[in-house]
Amino acid sequence: MKILKQLDKFKIATLPAIFIVFLLFVLMLGFYFINALPAIEKYGINLFITNIWQAAEDPAKEVYGLAAPIWGSIYTATIAILIALPLSICYAIFVNDYAPKKLKHPLIIISDIMAGLPTIIYGIWGAFILVPLLRDYIMKFLYNHLSFIPLFNYPPLSGYCYLSAGILLGIMVTPFAAAIIREAYAMIPSVYKEGLVALGATRYETTKVLIKYIKPAIISGLILAFGRALGETVAVSLVIGNSFNLTYKLFAPGYTISSLIANQFGNAILYKYMTSVLYSAGLVLFVIGLVVNILGLYYLKRWREYVSH
Amino acid sequence: MTKVKMETKNLNLWYGEKQALFDINLPIYEKKITALIGPSGCGKSTFLRCLNRLNDLIANVRIEGEVLLDGKNIYDKDVDVYELRKRVGMVFQKPNPFAMSIYDNVAFGPRIHGIKDKKELDKIVEWALKKAALWDEVKDELHKNALSLSGGQQQRLCIARAIAVKPEVLLMDEPTSALDPISTLKIEELMVELAKDYTIVVVTHNMQQASRVSDYTAFFLMGKLIEFGETEQIFLNPQKKETDDYISGRFG
Repeated sequence: MKILKQLDKFKIATLPAIFIVFLLFVLMLGFYFINALPAIEKYGINLFITNIWQAAEDPAKEVYGLAAPIWGSIYTATIAILIALPLSICYAIFVNDYAPKKLKHPLIIISDIMAGLPTIIYGIWGAFILVPLLRDYIMKFLYNHLSFIPLFNYPPLSGYCYLSAGILLGIMVTPFAAAIIREAYAMIPSVYKEGLVALGATRYETTKVLIKYIKPAIISGLILAFGRALGETVAVSLVIGNSFNLTYKLFAPGYTISSLIANQFGNAILYKYMTSVLYSAGLVLFVIGLVVNILGLYYLKRWREYVSH
Repeated sequence: MTKVKMETKNLNLWYGEKQALFDINLPIYEKKITALIGPSGCGKSTFLRCLNRLNDLIANVRIEGEVLLDGKNIYDKDVDVYELRKRVGMVFQKPNPFAMSIYDNVAFGPRIHGIKDKKELDKIVEWALKKAALWDEVKDELHKNALSLSGGQQQRLCIARAIAVKPEVLLMDEPTSALDPISTLKIEELMVELAKDYTIVVVTHNMQQASRVSDYTAFFLMGKLIEFGETEQIFLNPQKKETDDYISGRFG
């Protein structure tokens, strides 16, 4: 009885904290919405589907359209996922099945540290090392030899572009996605693995089936990683080139929502509508992030139920 | 005179520092059912997993002695372990169909062992499911997910999957302990039927099952083989006191 009472007290003690978290969430969403409202009222749907950035001291001449940064966010995050997918799956399999016992634990620790590194570290490395390397050895080659493919058909002048941002993001979210996939892979009941092995399946054949088995976990890992890539700001700002381009061409500089906000925030107060426009951009990111995370968590939950069943 | 299909010679096994099997010498006769009985933790499942080298999967396992299959030590360096597991199939305690269709489950083994031809696969699948007494229940829904079958059906599917690669020996690790009595009965009938073509080794906790289905019985206790003989002799006229105590339910 006494223990029960204490438990209840503990529960009561946690309620304010839960309430505050919930309140913060609602207030933040509301705050974003209210601040975004002037821009949304002035420009309507055009704010989200046109690509224009015309700041002017005369508010009547101010025109903004966020299509380029919205596209940039989704495009770079997609590139990141395409890179993280094979890397994280390979990593998860290697750590679980192939890594020598002594290497297994250090590998897990290293990848967990990498997932938690301050992103500016990736940003500086990306800007000074990754981008020049990509430009000199990959982009120039692709542009010179394969520029009949529209994707590669943009001169890689600076190297700061969608592709650089996507690759850097891919490297950044891989440890994160890999952690989810690794855990799911380790959670597969051993009877399934043994069943495969007992039929005379090789390691490769066994792994191929087991990967299919954790598909929901892979999907959720990638969706959550997509959410992370969307929100990443500092590192992306350093390598994406920060210009209003609305194109699928990989070597073109662009913007993402977060890099736009980070770059324009300083001078936004000089103009009547720019702050509100940046809030609208934030709201878009908020909504996309919310949807993506809910989707990812839903898949993860489904997978956990599937395993425990 | 029955032929010895498999045989262990002075088989010892350690999990790290802890010894789990002590000098096991046991013949397994061709096309007979050999039951391994004994209390939990006595080493009977560990022993079973030596016969298809499934213990290879576990780190820190060390094995000494020989396991002969048709006179050839399966732990020799030149043995292809995948080929070995094709010859020595296994059915597990918990039904473990793969998360794919019934058809693909049965065809999985033949496929990885190189059979690509659709017609041939169809034939094998039908043959294996018939052998496992499951064909009539599933023949119209071969492409349904195997996980939607009942527990008893899943276990028969696993038997079909195991025999689809045409093994010579079939290892069964408490194949009915997760099943209801009717499914258990079906599996037992199936075992007797299969023993016409296959050598079967079954681990069981169920004394009646051992006496009902097996031709030979081996009694394990704390990693040691206490007694081995024809099932009738073991159950009616055990030579060792421990065997007698266990069979008559005085412990275990």
